[in-house]
Amino acid sequence: MDLRLSPEDLAFRDATRRWFEANTPRQELKTLEDKREWHRALYDAGFIGMGWPRRYGGQEASALRQAIVADEMARINAPPPLNPLGIAIVGPTLIHHGTEAQKERYLRKILTAEELWCQLYSEPNAGSDLASLRTRAEDRGTHFEVTGQKIWTSYATLADWGLLLARTDPAAPKHRGISCFLINMRQPGVEVRPLRQITGTSEFSEVFLTGARVDRSDLVGRPGQGWEIAQTTLSYERGGNALARVTRYASAFHELVRATRALTRGGRPLLDDPLVRARLGRIYAELEVQRYAALRVLSALDRGETPGAAASVTKLSYSEFEKRFLESALEILGPYGQLTGGLPEALAARITASSGHGETWAYAFLWSRAGTIYAGSSEIQKNVIGERVLGLPKEARPDRVRA
Amino acid sequence: MRFAFSDDQVLLRQSARAFLDEHCKSEVVRALWEDPRGESEALWKDMAALGWLGLALPEGHGGSGLGMVETAILLEEMGRVAYPGPYRDTVLAALALAEAGTEAQRRRWLPAVATGGARATIAFVDAEPTWDPEATGTRAEPAGGGWRLSGVKAVVPWAHVADFILVPARAPEGLTLFLVEPSRPGLAQSVLAGMDLGTRWVSLRLDGVAVGPEAVVGEPGAAAPVLDRALARGAVAASAEMLGAARRSLDMSVAYAKVREQFGQPIGAFQAVRHKCAEMLVDVENAHAATYYAAWALDAGAEDADRAPSVAKAFVSEAARRVCGEAIQVHGGIGFTWEYDLHLFFKRAKALEVMYGDADWHRERLVRRVAGG
Repeated sequence: MDLRLSPEDLAFRDATRRWFEANTPRQELKTLEDKREWHRALYDAGFIGMGWPRRYGGQEASALRQAIVADEMARINAPPPLNPLGIAIVGPTLIHHGTEAQKERYLRKILTAEELWCQLYSEPNAGSDLASLRTRAEDRGTHFEVTGQKIWTSYATLADWGLLLARTDPAAPKHRGISCFLINMRQPGVEVRPLRQITGTSEFSEVFLTGARVDRSDLVGRPGQGWEIAQTTLSYERGGNALARVTRYASAFHELVRATRALTRGGRPLLDDPLVRARLGRIYAELEVQRYAALRVLSALDRGETPGAAASVTKLSYSEFEKRFLESALEILGPYGQLTGGLPEALAARITASSGHGETWAYAFLWSRAGTIYAGSSEIQKNVIGERVLGLPKEARPDRVRA
Repeated sequence: MRFAFSDDQVLLRQSARAFLDEHCKSEVVRALWEDPRGESEALWKDMAALGWLGLALPEGHGGSGLGMVETAILLEEMGRVAYPGPYRDTVLAALALAEAGTEAQRRRWLPAVATGGARATIAFVDAEPTWDPEATGTRAEPAGGGWRLSGVKAVVPWAHVADFILVPARAPEGLTLFLVEPSRPGLAQSVLAGMDLGTRWVSLRLDGVAVGPEAVVGEPGAAAPVLDRALARGAVAASAEMLGAARRSLDMSVAYAKVREQFGQPIGAFQAVRHKCAEMLVDVENAHAATYYAAWALDAGAEDADRAPSVAKAFVSEAARRVCGEAIQVHGGIGFTWEYDLHLFFKRAKALEVMYGDADWHRERLVRRVAGG
């Protein structure tokens, strides 16, 4: 047990901190061009694709170094890089399953954000049960023709390309009839409609595919291998968020404490109220436990261990904590917590929600409802933990693929 | 950065588990529950021979000079078997003496503790039910060259078997810690029954107990920081033991859910049960992270060493209560019987939940440190 950074990692952290202090844009990045310029600066500094193999333009940096960079960005509230799905999911998928021609064509432009990517997986009737997806890709010889609807697609409005799962063999068992494709989003058969969420904002979209074309050369792996590819994709971007997420929670907590000093009730600061203090104490203790747990995960990743199903414990734990935290924060702030505009100066701090957007308490509170649904709902995580970590018997399900 | 046990620490855990599985089986624990003294001299001597009693004591005084991480490893294993006895409280008292005692006190008592020849405890709680040293009402009135101690120490763990008791009292100089041997005239004890019979509580009445200057641990008026650190170690120690009780309860629940059948299938196949077990695992893993982070922070003198033990105690107190309680729920009727072992862990967790500051107290302590007021 030694939770201190080594002298080398400490030096790396200090250098990283200095770089962000000197280079983080002071103005909000409004246009895509501004954001590309910032991304390019991050790329040139070696902060993009840190976990990727060197031969594909990465750094092969340790999980800890990746976490240090993400944490320093969270600390200074730096704007995020572009193309997170391209870098975290599409690139590693191509490195593992792609042809040489695909790697040559796509990888570098993913890292430089010259081409932006989205992931076309979920469908209106295929959420937790993703393998029941119905979007069809019909083989037309030189190309495939894709028809169907995707939903909950992040970055779809910006994306040039999408990583697509579609059914190529309706007769096969449901997990075996799916193929994986790279689809050009800039074509007439692809229509993106931003989805307005309960936050009032549109981080996600619906994507309608009507006879959209995918060249045969953009099939990833073999026909029917799509489900396997989606399940086995290795992510090189590991540990990146473990600490940064907690750092964002901690910043929000300190803003909350500041608000309880500024707001008064009966002429006394809220901070003097024992009930408020009890709530703050509970949030702080849980927040610190999240930090310790993140360090433990990071340490395991850094030693080359793959968390596997244990990652479900982490995801379940922090996403449920985030809801409790923001529910409690809004209770403390009373009528002010739910305001989406016109907040008093003392409360006007920008709270960076786990979406990465800096907004109000109300936005962060609403956004926290997403975390226990996306990327495997809490109920799915509990199934995974029960079956694959604790070894409890599987539930009888008609669609199980026999191994 | 490494959040994992060293090879030596893994070995320590394995040997502790092997020893306790053999020598502290549930039959042994249950026999000690019925025993008026509540602990086993044989077990104590074995633990001394294994080096457990001197584990964290200074090498110059018969100890091994290891830290809270190793102590927590042992205590987690003890929680796993609901070990009954004064191990934890003896270690806490000895560490306070090692840190703040005079050289004469250290020479007299530490080697004795390390070799199994002395047991000890700290009398944190007065008549008011709080572990806060600032609430101490017991008085130390100057008399001759020394003091006379008067007051009530309501719930002192294992005082009936202790060879010395560390007693905080208010002297004219301020809060002072006294080393009191229970044979002193004016000290009356009555043993109290708690739901966890593996933890014995004693009520002490001090009626003008005369002590000399040699009984002062450190300097008069200097007890507050000593007690603060003793409480921090107590918080980590209790967290480790609660973690052990919780992990054992989870293990038993998972094993049971695999074999107990209802409606023609193992109950673990039902999501209602499986999800409960998954939630228990999240609590146990987080309790592990909290406990060992705090133990490391104390050993390393980390900048958050004054907060991490409170984080651990605040979190693990509730997590262990949830896990040990849900274990009974997963088991159903059998979990509610005296003959089944689950209640040993449920009750141990409950006893530890209130010791060395409960969750509310530690949360308030955290808010004072991070937000002031």
